Amino acid sequence: MNEASAPARRPPDLAVLYRTLFLAFVAAFVAVPLLATVLGGFKSLGELRTNPFGLPSVWEWQNYAGILASRRYWQLLGNSFAISTLTTILALVVASMAAFVFAHIRFFGSRMLLNYFTMGLLFPAATAILPLFIKVRDLGLLDTYFGVVLPQVAFALAMSILLFRRFFKDLPVELVEAALVDGCSYPKFFRFVTLPLSRPILATVGTITFVHSWNAYLVPLIMLNSDAMYPWPLGIMVYQGEYTADWHLILAFITLTILPTFILFVFAQKHIVAGLTAGAVKG
Amino acid sequence: MLASTTARQRGAGRMTAVILFLPPALLLFTLFVVMPVVEAAWYGGYNWNGFGSPKNWVGFDNYRMVFETRAFGLALRNNLLVIVVSLAIQLPLALALALILAEKFRGAVALRMLFFLPYVLAEVATGLIFSFVYDGDYGLLASIYRFFGAEAPHLLASTQTSMLAILIVVVWKYFGFHMMLFIAALQGQDRNLIEASRIDGASRWQTIRFVSIPLLYPTIRLSIFFAVVGSLQLFDLVMPLTRGGPADSSQTMVSFLYSHGVTRMRVGYGSAIGVILFVICATFAITYKRWFMRDE
Amino acid sequence: MNALIRSLLAAASLALSAGGAMAQTTVKWLHLEVNPNQLKIWEEVARSFEAAHPGTKIEMQFLENESYKAKLPTLLQSNDRPHIIYSWAGGVLKAQIEAGVLQDVAGSIKDIAPEISPAALAAFTQDGKVYGLPFAQSQVGFLYNKDLMAKANVDGTKIKTWDDLLAAVKALKAAGVTPLTVGGGDKWPLHFYWTHLAVRIGGKAAFQAALRGESGGFEGETFQKAGDLMKQLVDLQPFQNGFLGFKNPQSTGYFGDGKAAMTLVISTVYHQQKALAADKVGIPDDKLGWFDFPTIPGGKGEAADTLGGINGWLVTRGAPKEAVEFVKFFVSKDVQSRLAAGNFLVPVVKGADAAINNAFMRNIAQNLARSNYHQNFYDQDLGPSVGRVVNDATAELAGGSMTPRQVSKAVQDAWKQGN
Repeated sequence: MNEASAPARRPPDLAVLYRTLFLAFVAAFVAVPLLATVLGGFKSLGELRTNPFGLPSVWEWQNYAGILASRRYWQLLGNSFAISTLTTILALVVASMAAFVFAHIRFFGSRMLLNYFTMGLLFPAATAILPLFIKVRDLGLLDTYFGVVLPQVAFALAMSILLFRRFFKDLPVELVEAALVDGCSYPKFFRFVTLPLSRPILATVGTITFVHSWNAYLVPLIMLNSDAMYPWPLGIMVYQGEYTADWHLILAFITLTILPTFILFVFAQKHIVAGLTAGAVKG
Repeated sequence: MLASTTARQRGAGRMTAVILFLPPALLLFTLFVVMPVVEAAWYGGYNWNGFGSPKNWVGFDNYRMVFETRAFGLALRNNLLVIVVSLAIQLPLALALALILAEKFRGAVALRMLFFLPYVLAEVATGLIFSFVYDGDYGLLASIYRFFGAEAPHLLASTQTSMLAILIVVVWKYFGFHMMLFIAALQGQDRNLIEASRIDGASRWQTIRFVSIPLLYPTIRLSIFFAVVGSLQLFDLVMPLTRGGPADSSQTMVSFLYSHGVTRMRVGYGSAIGVILFVICATFAITYKRWFMRDE
Repeated sequence: MNALIRSLLAAASLALSAGGAMAQTTVKWLHLEVNPNQLKIWEEVARSFEAAHPGTKIEMQFLENESYKAKLPTLLQSNDRPHIIYSWAGGVLKAQIEAGVLQDVAGSIKDIAPEISPAALAAFTQDGKVYGLPFAQSQVGFLYNKDLMAKANVDGTKIKTWDDLLAAVKALKAAGVTPLTVGGGDKWPLHFYWTHLAVRIGGKAAFQAALRGESGGFEGETFQKAGDLMKQLVDLQPFQNGFLGFKNPQSTGYFGDGKAAMTLVISTVYHQQKALAADKVGIPDDKLGWFDFPTIPGGKGEAADTLGGINGWLVTRGAPKEAVEFVKFFVSKDVQSRLAAGNFLVPVVKGADAAINNAFMRNIAQNLARSNYHQNFYDQDLGPSVGRVVNDATAELAGGSMTPRQVSKAVQDAWKQGN
């Protein structure tokens, strides 16, 4: 047992009471908007106005059913999934290879090159969004998955390379030496020794990249034109533009589009929390 | 040391690996991260609508116009406001919660997850949820006002309150992330130090004040760094809420760049904004790292 | 290097999208229509075109008005741009022509050109080249709710001058009725006030002079006065609570819900207010009134001058010939009559207006026919970048953060900068 729960058994303690009230207040601050959104999707527009907080008096399942039955919803999720998966895989492959070189091979200019990549941490993608747009246009990639994927991968590189490099450097030295002495080439060593040992860091970097790509708005907004290509953050904005004041439908749509994130979060919370915070700390 | 021993042994395979493994990252990074920044500096000197190639050289005119635009000043002010609120409200809140929730008691883990959840949700979805919360007709806030018989303010529609409304959402969305950083750091702290101070007769508060928090300084510095950098890229959240309005009152640097540069295809002007933003970000990151995070 | 990467990437993305390979021609048609009743007809039009042209598929794409305007500049730069896009003509169209993203269709529309209202067609013509076809015209004026007006004993038909309007606003406020609703968040609904005032004060001559930079340009007397008069109205706080946060569709729905007495809008809102009202019924015809924008005593503009849009479809470069055919089909007398019969629009094809069967739309059609000076929306007419400044500045005037003088200066500065 620890000191926190011990005082709870004694007669009411003001500190504990304040703490509980404080926690309850913050919990309400966080949870109420979310709950109201989910429940709002079950209400009619009229009820939403009179009773935005409570449980619906009549559960309007057709708000949700209608969206789930629509092609549009699945298309948005499909696009998001394709873009995020491509981004994640590419970022993992490209960044781990580069990091491997930086971790194990010293060559002329390696320090300089590593610093070159570190520059990517200094500024957000938005700073050069117009030239980036022109570049993607000139490559003929507007309105394609790759027009979104490649810039996203490029911007994920700096952080990913640093994370991978640190991990690779921490692998047991004996292992590396033994393998290399045994005549294993670097590429083979990377493929058959480093990668299998790198599950945790692959998961971390993969999580960060996937979540960022899944939620991304600016780059897809600028690179994609046709709604057939839209990932869900763009689609949800179009939906809102189309249904303006039909808040019950918009709320149902929001709920359904954040549902995958939520499910993923519930089932992989340890990885996600560890990934997102570790990425921040170690980067 | 490792690299040098292996280097001697395997000179040839070494270079193969470099040649094989480095170019993809180098190419992507150069093409999509470095070159656009360099090009922004170049385009910033032109008046150009993006078609054909830039021809109309205007020198520093774009920069002058950016500085003369009222929205630019507002955007700068708003970014500063976000930083101030992050430091003055979000950070202490996150720290307090972390100190409570780092300990083990029933519900602590569930609360941690609840508080972290907003950070995982997309900014766009968060913005839409809060545009519902703030909606003057159907929103949660409006119904609270109606309950007390008052007419609801349209927070997002007034130049006086739009930024306040956004700041609340910023805190809602990001405090959990900072809290998690602190919790991770607290859990990594040496329990012996804390036990020792308790045995020495320090009160709970004294232990926190003189042992836990000083040990957290590196994390706090890191947290401030993220708050500032995050503020400078704030955009996704603003779009569904106000699109920078009304009358540019909630514009941020990036939303200003988007609404005055991208949607008008003023490539030169927009690039100039980008260059200014780049200079701000880079200056901050480099100075901050040099002054406050030297040892990390 | 670029070329190599480009081809590699193209190959990769082709491989990924190979499933979508089609044997037939697809025409991508980007529209902004939100009214489901009108959309239903459009869809029928598309289906019947497909039936008449086997192997052609019309793919309808939608963007909400405001997102469309924000998206358009980047959208057009893509090689994969939609084949048919919506247009309000004017300076925005001119910029698109200069950018070379549109297709000259003059050759293929010769047969139907004589059928189309010359003024409307001229809006899509430059240097003898035709870049699209108009399909509707509209007028900006005041829609009002007769019941709400009656509460304050205001008669909409009697509002003739600007002072009448101000008096009506005061009376409505005194009676506890919200006088006006406006989609201030989208900004352009507010620019109607400033620009229509300028149309009334200075007439066509003043606008032409401003374009040439004469008599002070947009800082000239006409535009200063337009700002001053708009400020008179704004100072009465005539708009709904939170108007600067309302998007246009929201404001339209607000009017349709019977929450505000008047709204300065494009004539097509007559229909949209029904579709966007919470009950999807809106204000019925017998409760709905219309008056033209009030006149200014001593103004040089004629009372018959109108502000409004000429809406058309542009054909983008690289579009298949079926796209042109479809646009022609859309403005054929048959389709135009159908849309006119639904009272959705004032048609541009000669004779189609005969199909209009209600008094409201007939009135608009007559107004437009009588008008000698039909001013296109400034935010379109002055081009993409200056137009946005007009919207920004007038919204700031309405929000109280800019003075009339500053509005004029901002517009003139943007115009001088010429981009």
